[in-house]
Amino acid sequence: MGINRRHFTFGSAGAIGVSALGFARPAIAQTEPIRIGWLAALTGPSSAPGIGFNRGVIYAAEAINAAGGVKGRKIEIITRDTQGDPTKAVNATQELISQAKVHAIWGPTNSGESLAVTPIMARAKMPNIHPCVVDTLIDERRFPNAFRISPSNAQWDDAVRNYCLAILKLKKIAVIGDTTGYGVSAVNASVAGFKKDGADVVYQANIDATQPDMTPDMLRARNAGAEAIVVWSVSTGMEARMMNTRAAMGWDIPFVGHPSLSSGEIGSLVEKPANWEKVYAVGYRSCSYGADGKLPAKNQALVERLAGKVNLQDTLLWWVACGIDAIDLVAKAVEVTGSSSSEAIIGYWNGLTKYEGYFGNYAYSPTQHNGYPVADVVMSAASSAKNGTFALAPGYSG
Amino acid sequence: MLASILASGLAVGAIYALIGIAYNTMYSTSRVMSFTAGQLGMLGGVFGSLFILRLGFPPILGFFAMVACCALIGVITEFVAVRPVLKSLDQHLYVLSTLALALMIQQVTAIEWSTEPQPFPRLFGASGGFLEEKFWFPVVACVVTIGGLELLYRKTLVGRAFLAIAEDNFAARALGLPERNLRIASYALAGAIGGLAGFSGGQLLLAFFANGPLLNFYGFVPVALGGLGNNRGAVIGGLALGIFQQAANFLVGGIFSSVAVFSLFIIVLLIVPQGLFGGHAARRV
Repeated sequence: MGINRRHFTFGSAGAIGVSALGFARPAIAQTEPIRIGWLAALTGPSSAPGIGFNRGVIYAAEAINAAGGVKGRKIEIITRDTQGDPTKAVNATQELISQAKVHAIWGPTNSGESLAVTPIMARAKMPNIHPCVVDTLIDERRFPNAFRISPSNAQWDDAVRNYCLAILKLKKIAVIGDTTGYGVSAVNASVAGFKKDGADVVYQANIDATQPDMTPDMLRARNAGAEAIVVWSVSTGMEARMMNTRAAMGWDIPFVGHPSLSSGEIGSLVEKPANWEKVYAVGYRSCSYGADGKLPAKNQALVERLAGKVNLQDTLLWWVACGIDAIDLVAKAVEVTGSSSSEAIIGYWNGLTKYEGYFGNYAYSPTQHNGYPVADVVMSAASSAKNGTFALAPGYSG
Repeated sequence: MLASILASGLAVGAIYALIGIAYNTMYSTSRVMSFTAGQLGMLGGVFGSLFILRLGFPPILGFFAMVACCALIGVITEFVAVRPVLKSLDQHLYVLSTLALALMIQQVTAIEWSTEPQPFPRLFGASGGFLEEKFWFPVVACVVTIGGLELLYRKTLVGRAFLAIAEDNFAARALGLPERNLRIASYALAGAIGGLAGFSGGQLLLAFFANGPLLNFYGFVPVALGGLGNNRGAVIGGLALGIFQQAANFLVGGIFSSVAVFSLFIIVLLIVPQGLFGGHAARRV
């Protein structure tokens, strides 16, 4: 019997009807690996965080697979090096979605790339978890697939303000940033926040990061009566110059602000180590040690397990811990729901009320995809780096 | 405050002046404004830090190694970015070729050196306040350079040959002067002067790949203010720029100080288009 148009139409309708009835998918879907796309800046100028995150990713995937996988399904990490370039990130995202057919994507790890790829992932309904700080990257209505695993800029801001006003009990604040887009927007947001909380912002400035001498702005801040200087910049050169100028002026007010204040580069740029004292950078309670030199118990145990397997000497513990948590969150979603579909993974994340990770305890809902608790964002003593961790700044209870 | 303005204004101004002299030195023998001048300054700081801090050379040896490397970059500039476009100077292709080379230098430095500022060594031991070497070293380097160039141009045969080429290229060649070799030598000299700018200002600017565009920009201002090809004008223009910029930093703040500097620059050029010390060029008719 030949196939005519009527037979073909009936046959097609029947096939569609059968698939719509929801018969079990072929067994291959139950045994295929869980493919996680990993958009990492592993080379290029902003690769240091990517390398740290990657160590956590590899450790987590190997640990899960060594324990038999997730319901028998192995974790497969499909890494694409974006080199910190948004164009490369866009290409890699499209390839991961359409060619590699990943079940979820972790990354990118910097906001510039994430701004470029988040709409693409949203169109594909791809479960995405990332550690980028720009506030607009999380929008539960436009990007219902995107979840943040780290604090947002606003949460950093809250933590810095809380430290200055509630812990150090200082009210006269100078806010200084660089002249980049980030520096200008961060300074404006920070000033607005301090004013909202009743602080007196006595000085506000954006300085060209290559300006050789910081004396003019520091003098103006001192003359205005500043009791603390809040710094929003990623330029270690500018920050070190400010610290050296503070010392030359014989001024000892605290610097509080961006995590780059604790960057190892600063140690080689300050004229003497004492210039780096009384500097407090954004850090995380889970990866900060107290007066006894110990991390919180869970991460103390993690560090002991990582010893000899993951190098923490040249990276930060929070990058490694965050990488572990990202992979664990995908694995847990598949384990609990029994499915690696987009709907299942996103649905599981949306229902998390308290997921206890290494970097933090996350909570998400359909209307809140900023899952990192603001109370866990703390200030670290900037010059106290030890195995990728920092000492809690004075004023916090260990 | 006045002492602070003078100390750091003169230091920064001396660095700008040296970059301006590097521009002039290259221009005098080729009639080309080479936009690699700022990158030579950047490399002076990077090579100084590389040789002395990272490779552990004694400071004096590190200094001469830096001078040699920057002179070599100057010579490469002549071969790669200047010589191919000399025949079509009126089309100003050198703007593209020298800017392209400058960009390449900057990118290679970012990849091979670092994208973060690196420390520059203290060369003359500890001191304090306004006697810090970061304030006086660029000024001394500028004075020595301008003195050395005066001696070169007035007292030596090579220097006079430079002046002859600068004055009239065709006449100098007709007299048998080796114009091409003298041009290469002038680019090597400019490389050394640009490197000295970055080396003497290393404590202020640090060894940072992004210093190049800054020096290119602010180094060009004294050339325009002082008159193209006029080294004394470049020095006075550079020092005035440094002091004015630092005063603006104190009085109106970081972002607005750049606006103040360029407003003044435009006003001066509107009033004296040939620069404060530049003469009107005579044209044969």
